[in-house]
Amino acid sequence: MKIGAPKETAQGEARVALTPESAKQLQKLGHECLVEAGAGAAAGFNDDTYRDAGVSVVESAEALWRDADVVIKVREPSETEAHYLREGQTLIAFFWPAQNEALLETCKAQGATVIAMDMVPRISRAQKMDALSSMANIAGYRAVIEAGNNFGRFFTGQVTAAGKVPPAKVLVIGAGVAGLAAIGTATSLGAVVRAFDVRPEVSEQIESMGAEFLFLDFEDSQDGSESGGYASPSSPEFREKQLACFREQAPDVDIVITTALIPGRPAPKLWLEDMVAAMKPGSVIIDLAAEKGGNCDLTKPDERVVSDNGVVVVGYTDFPSRMATQASLLYATNIRHMLTDLTPEKDGVIQHNMEDDVIRGATVTHQGDITFPPPPPKVKAIAAAKPKKKEKEPTPEEKKATELATFKAQTKRQVGLLAVGGALMLLLGQIAPASFMQHFIVFVLACFIGFQVIWKVSHSLHTPLMAVTNAISGIIILGAILQIGSGSGVVIVLATISVLIATINVVGGFLVTRRMLAMFQKS
Amino acid sequence: MLGQGFVSAAAIAASVLFILSLGGLSNQEKAKRAVWYGIVGMAVAVFFTSFGPGIGGYWWLIPAMLIGAVVGVYVAGKVEMTEMPQLVAALHSFVGLAAVFVAWSADLERRRVLAAQAADGVMQEFSAFAALVATKAPDELTFLQLEVVFAIFIGAVTFTGSVVAFGKLAGKVDGKPRQLPGGHKLNAGAAALSLLLAILYLNGAGFWTLILLAALAFFIGYHLIMGIGGADMPVVVSMLNSYSGWAAAAIGFTLSNDLLIVTGALVGSSGAILSYIMCKAMNRNFINVILGGFGGTQGPAAEIEGEQIAIDAAGVASALNDADSVIIVPGYGMAVAQAQSAVSDLVRKLRASGKNVRFGIHPVAGRLPGHMNVLLAEAKVPYDIVLEMDEINDDFASTDVVIVIGSNDIVNPSAEEDPNSPIAGMPVLKVWEAKQVFVSKRGQGTGYSGIENPLFFKENTRMFYGDARDSLNALLPMVE
Repeated sequence: MKIGAPKETAQGEARVALTPESAKQLQKLGHECLVEAGAGAAAGFNDDTYRDAGVSVVESAEALWRDADVVIKVREPSETEAHYLREGQTLIAFFWPAQNEALLETCKAQGATVIAMDMVPRISRAQKMDALSSMANIAGYRAVIEAGNNFGRFFTGQVTAAGKVPPAKVLVIGAGVAGLAAIGTATSLGAVVRAFDVRPEVSEQIESMGAEFLFLDFEDSQDGSESGGYASPSSPEFREKQLACFREQAPDVDIVITTALIPGRPAPKLWLEDMVAAMKPGSVIIDLAAEKGGNCDLTKPDERVVSDNGVVVVGYTDFPSRMATQASLLYATNIRHMLTDLTPEKDGVIQHNMEDDVIRGATVTHQGDITFPPPPPKVKAIAAAKPKKKEKEPTPEEKKATELATFKAQTKRQVGLLAVGGALMLLLGQIAPASFMQHFIVFVLACFIGFQVIWKVSHSLHTPLMAVTNAISGIIILGAILQIGSGSGVVIVLATISVLIATINVVGGFLVTRRMLAMFQKS
Repeated sequence: MLGQGFVSAAAIAASVLFILSLGGLSNQEKAKRAVWYGIVGMAVAVFFTSFGPGIGGYWWLIPAMLIGAVVGVYVAGKVEMTEMPQLVAALHSFVGLAAVFVAWSADLERRRVLAAQAADGVMQEFSAFAALVATKAPDELTFLQLEVVFAIFIGAVTFTGSVVAFGKLAGKVDGKPRQLPGGHKLNAGAAALSLLLAILYLNGAGFWTLILLAALAFFIGYHLIMGIGGADMPVVVSMLNSYSGWAAAAIGFTLSNDLLIVTGALVGSSGAILSYIMCKAMNRNFINVILGGFGGTQGPAAEIEGEQIAIDAAGVASALNDADSVIIVPGYGMAVAQAQSAVSDLVRKLRASGKNVRFGIHPVAGRLPGHMNVLLAEAKVPYDIVLEMDEINDDFASTDVVIVIGSNDIVNPSAEEDPNSPIAGMPVLKVWEAKQVFVSKRGQGTGYSGIENPLFFKENTRMFYGDARDSLNALLPMVE
């Protein structure tokens, strides 16, 4: 089949859906690749490199749409492009079907199959084609770079001969892929990073990237696993608490990077005007949610605005496109993986298997039908994370009470044991002769001492302990010694054998213990 | 001949020395002194008792001691550190047998004295223990008989039990739990019969009751330990250790010797506590271990998916060269393959290149508690990098490479993840949390407990098949 990548028509879009590298891989699947002349220029791939990779360069967009069986794109098609579509043709692109209903209708009317890269379900098998994540990763990285560009100081703290530089304090709101990438980039530049997310289960990921998680003490926290790893709208009470937390942070932080998005809704307003006003002059806000209206009140999409108190608010919506080469490489690979799944036999024939969870989920129109929204995937997106149980700090009173209770229980048990033991002793004393009781006292005390002493023995010395106790248990030799002077022949023989084997035990046991202990050495 | 005062003073000194000896094992440095306390204590005890009042038969005593000492020196010098468990078990059997002999002798003496007294009705000169028996009142003699019964029973169980444990540890007897048809009913029957014999004996039956009693106890010891699997041997050895102590204490009562009582009780209680500590480390019920076999499972164990992926020495070496932190988890397999010095060389090399290398030791790794520590010490691994499970378990998550050498059940994640697993709830070393795990193992078989180990199927686990020592020696030249 012929796979073609046209030049992106959207303004400012520098990415391209096919790279020479991905083209080579696609050819291995038995496909033929087409590219519109100049499509890769903005991303740093000129037509000659495509030709070298065996891609046919087509002069006009129209010709490409006509020749290709599968059209791969970055952005959703324009009105004109949608009309190029024909029956049996497949389009793969970021389509945003929920926001582009009219476009969806057009594509359906043209009879084309549309695969929306933004609809790839979030299951582990589909990670290799999760283009949203690869783009978000770039956006997160670029956001920090963009912030650094607008920020007048170092990220890292330094003590120099010319004075001390404090580290920049960065607050990342929303710890999705973009947020985590931003955290990683900012920490590696040396900034002090804090991060917030409504899903408490991501705290571990945040901490693993080296940031501090701003914890909100709130009963009704969200479980991200319910919604496929994405955040969902929060209750008004929660929102209030969250805003109070940000208000507290505002005067302290130098850079704010907001990445909070809720699928299919306008971005929640999280960084309000008064928070911007509370920030120090020269601070920077990077709003990665600008395309969906922005998390910050002052954000203007695609613009850099400066507030009255000198805070820079960056609302660019094209962060991935600003790193077009990297973005194209990753996106083209995602597309290539999608096509690999669509070409199971590696024979250049596309089999659109609607039984496949991933393909079914991403397909929005197929054979003249709108297949959006897809049924829930059979495999759960991510395993339900067990909510991290926060150990409640017991109050001093509670602590005291529990301590008292355990103390009482222990006392009760010990007194009980002593009472029972005492009673038994008394009983034994009634029937046993006095001489026995004398020995018995010694016996009980010795047991007790043994009990106390052994608990302290270090674990690594348990084998020597056993060897020593074994040697000491050879004390049985005394019994034999006491009998060996007897007048009876049998007794003498028995006692002699006993002395012999007990001596082996004593001598062998002690020597072997010494050998063992001599080996232990400190480094 | 020394007076009774000397003997009593010596007994007190020896008791104190024994207590210091056991207490001194709280750390490695003190332990070297502690063992001398034990040796001196024993020397004092034996010397002063031998030359105390009423002791004779030196023509028998001294040669027996000399021969025993020579054999003891020979055995202690020859034994390999890996054979330590079976040596300890074998030595226990001696104590058990000696206890049976001494108890028999005690009864023979009692009979002789009683017979003599009945015959002429006047006090006759007796030597040694018989002299003591002659002074006893009738109720004291009844108690003496009771003590003899205890000593014989415990001593006999210790004897055969230790012999079987020795056989299992030395590989001379199959390690699998095996019982005669009838199982524990047979043990219970033998125990009931023993009780009957004891009652007969107390009521004046002849010496044959004691012989039969010993025979029954021999059977119980044999059958009980045969029914316990090889993996539980550490607990068994320490339990037998405890028994040998109780047997000595019982003899002490019989002979009215406080030193024997004190020492026996020390050994008995220390062995009991050690067994308890070990059972806790395995999350097993003590009774359950002693009665043999693992507890019944509550449901089918979780199926394991995936496959074991093998790796060669070069792969392990490159991972080790890249790693900053390494934890080695040794098990019985290291002891079997005698790989401890190869491990030690590897550690020395890794440490020389500045890596953080440590050992994680599970409380029941090996066939004796602390077995691994002794082996590593033999190979001159410094003990301050050898850490216990609790000290190191939280560090696995931040470790680059874990090398598991010949251990299986103690690193089995199903103890934590699969509630139906026979070892569910047993504390294990969480090696799978590390970035990469290499398992050095002879083949694909299961461990001593016969349980499949999901660790081997994990994504970050690679199997390094082969004899542990050969594998490590192949690895050594490739590590920088």
